[in-house]
Amino acid sequence: MKTLPDDPLILPNPLREGLVEERIPEPAAMVIFGASGDLTRRKLLPALYSLTRDRLLPARFAVLGFGRLPLTDEAFREEMRRGCEEFARRRPIDPALWAAFARNIFYQQGAYDDPAAFLRLKERLEEIEHRLGLPGNRVFYLSTPPSTFAPVIRSLGQADLAPKPAPGRPFSRVIIEKPFGVDLETARALNREVHDILDEQQIYRIDHYLGKETVQNLLVFRFANGIFEPLWNNRFVDHVQITGAETVGVEARGGYFEQAGSMRDMVQNHLLQVLSLAAMEPPVAFEADAVRDEKLKVLKALRFIPEAEFDQQVVRAQYAAGSIGGKTVPGYRSEPDVGPRSTTETFVALKLFIDSWRWAGVPFYLRSGKRMPKRVTEIAIQFKEAPHLLFGKRGETIRPNVLSIRIQPDEGIALNFGSKLPGPAMEIAPVSMEFRYGSSFGVEPPEAYERLLLDCLLGDGTLFTRADEVEASWRWVSRIHRRWAEQVAEGRTTLDSYPAGSWGPEGAERMMAADGRAWRLP
Amino acid sequence: MSPDPEREHANFERFARGEPIAVEVGEIERELGALWKRASSAGNTHAGAAVSRAALWNLIIPTRGSAALAKTKALVDDIAQGVPVRAITLCLDDPGSAGAGDGLSATIESNVVSQPGGARVVYSEEITLRGPVGSETHFGALVRALQIPGVPTAALWMDAAMPTALLIRELLPVTDRLIVDTASCVRPPHLFDLQRLAAHAHPLPVADLGWLRLGSFRLLFAGLFDPPVGGAPLGRATGLTVRHRPGGDLSALLLVAWLGQMLSWRPLRAAQTADGGLRFDFTRGTGTAAEIEAFLIPTEGACDAGGVLAIELHESGHDEYVVCRTALDQASVQLPIAPAKAVKLDAYSDAELCVAALGPRGRDPLFARCLAYADRLWSLEPQTLGSRR
Repeated sequence: MKTLPDDPLILPNPLREGLVEERIPEPAAMVIFGASGDLTRRKLLPALYSLTRDRLLPARFAVLGFGRLPLTDEAFREEMRRGCEEFARRRPIDPALWAAFARNIFYQQGAYDDPAAFLRLKERLEEIEHRLGLPGNRVFYLSTPPSTFAPVIRSLGQADLAPKPAPGRPFSRVIIEKPFGVDLETARALNREVHDILDEQQIYRIDHYLGKETVQNLLVFRFANGIFEPLWNNRFVDHVQITGAETVGVEARGGYFEQAGSMRDMVQNHLLQVLSLAAMEPPVAFEADAVRDEKLKVLKALRFIPEAEFDQQVVRAQYAAGSIGGKTVPGYRSEPDVGPRSTTETFVALKLFIDSWRWAGVPFYLRSGKRMPKRVTEIAIQFKEAPHLLFGKRGETIRPNVLSIRIQPDEGIALNFGSKLPGPAMEIAPVSMEFRYGSSFGVEPPEAYERLLLDCLLGDGTLFTRADEVEASWRWVSRIHRRWAEQVAEGRTTLDSYPAGSWGPEGAERMMAADGRAWRLP
Repeated sequence: MSPDPEREHANFERFARGEPIAVEVGEIERELGALWKRASSAGNTHAGAAVSRAALWNLIIPTRGSAALAKTKALVDDIAQGVPVRAITLCLDDPGSAGAGDGLSATIESNVVSQPGGARVVYSEEITLRGPVGSETHFGALVRALQIPGVPTAALWMDAAMPTALLIRELLPVTDRLIVDTASCVRPPHLFDLQRLAAHAHPLPVADLGWLRLGSFRLLFAGLFDPPVGGAPLGRATGLTVRHRPGGDLSALLLVAWLGQMLSWRPLRAAQTADGGLRFDFTRGTGTAAEIEAFLIPTEGACDAGGVLAIELHESGHDEYVVCRTALDQASVQLPIAPAKAVKLDAYSDAELCVAALGPRGRDPLFARCLAYADRLWSLEPQTLGSRR
């Protein structure tokens, strides 16, 4: 087999022109740290397999799993095959395709804090790249506990596995899973450590919500259609509700969740990212930094919740025993690895304001909870009522127009409006105009991880979170955590309780009722 | 005429099963409206699943004869699984054939997509207009009346040998995309009829199912020249061989045209080879000496309707870059710096290709350029006596 000279001048590939719509990345290797973990088996490898099935990965592509467990290549491949059979979007698995895909999957055992293990990793990676004719493009995926992020990145730097970008050199990129820090100080410290080794453009902080088709469609919906954006402001919008509800409890993650709570687990990342996309100004271009600049402005414009209003604008609660899907489930404090006197919130509801011309005076209500009646994430824009009511009897209200953007499940958009009921009387009933991905396009949208892994391989950071965004969201969230800590120190806690299978505590209802509003039934 | 509840019920049952219902030509929209109303009412009250009536495209498909109509209807059923469309099939009966009537007739039917859990949601609808030769004079007005407003329209022109007057006079003016299939061209002149049709349709996007079929091959072949190899071997190429199934020479010609177009090769001459294949000579500059020799070689082997079996690029240093079909859905890629690798080669159905043609891949400007280049290749004076052209 022929070998290439050490430093060849690589001419561009003219045959790629015209194939741009396929968005095929250059040949590359992906190293997954934490490869024996659940995320790799359930999400990452199934996403890579589906991308291969859709011909969106280059023919020359390798996966090298790195983990603490001693596994052979064959055992790792078999485990990944089972994962793909269970979780891949494109099922059943095509045996011929799997055989070709699996041939380039490898495994290397090692500890995250062992420099020698990283040198062995480098040797193995170079050997694989040489054997498969790969140019040295690398993506490192940190699917590991947050405490290992900094050590792994330091070790990557020491082993010269992720050199800074330079023209003509292969790329090295690092994907970092959430949570990125646990508060503003830890996020800043982690950013400093990461920036010691990597340029910001090499860092892809992943929030899988941003890979969801409807979240991306939010930008298309707002900025590719002329009719909505003129209404998207405080002249026409009464308020906005963002809901992120899960039916699951903490499952086997009690230890992690005790430290995190809903605020860190959902609000700081997923919900604030969704909020920033829903509220941002039009970017100057659909490019990574242009979009992220606008999201950052929203996060910076979040008004800190004043102490005097805190209890009226922040509600936190924990689920008690209840029923989900016809099954009795225990309360949070009875879950494994959860203390019997735990004060960690499994539900949070917030009322917040964005101090900008567009959104002055418009409240945004956010709620996120575990053990809710159904799994749903949606943004609901509720419009103001018509200024003068021509129809209906005195005192009778007509339901306001609501535009709801369903992020999961059943991704789609619905617009509710009033319509005259057929008949001689002037009676008005709410009707809904719905768009659903499943029925309109006949196909289910790709998994979020598919889109995000592909984007990283292509060097497109639009759907990843930048360092300043992370810090801005922590700056806002950390104030709430500080206030909660102060309340505990003052000897009073504002922790409510709600039965599993309900839509949250009464305090959340009271918060809305005080404004003359109510939560939507999503 | 007063409504007949029994007939309405029977029609609704047939509609929900996706079976055709004969209707008056002038009453198509009204009948469809009534059936949808009933379907949504039944869906909401009995089955529990709401009915969606969806269409992202008006899809017009002219066809001829009962056999082609049956094939077209099967194709539309499959397309509906991938994208909801209002399909309007225009069929001219063969004279004297069974089923041919005196005048225009119409049927309507739904395309039902099964949902997980057994619930059914009716997605899209299909209208078939059928009549004897001469009925085509009515087709234009009927299509204009039946197009869903605000939804783009595509014309699917699957039979390259059909007279183009209906398409050019009546359909193209109301069409947003023309879809053809070069693989249906049984003789090279058909390919160039399509080329002229595409030129006539300009600036409408023209999508070719044959071109989309070549997509897997083009992608794999292009991938050979990604880093670390890069484009240098393409600049040093001295030979190109495209192996194709006998009868698949038009697809092979399109592949050669793609490379010639992308690499700025200038065609010099053409010849027929002793083994029944074709040879084209190219130069990179302005001279007349051949720098690249391209061969189209008929070869037996299993492959899809595209008919291409292998593409091989030879470099001056005897290095080879090869994509070779090893089974219907598998290929081997070979390049000097890596061992040969078996890869999946997608074989798409015509319906899947139609769905792709209605998407962004159906707006590929490269296709028109390559088709025009293929026309240039075919127009070269043959150098060998007895050329089959």
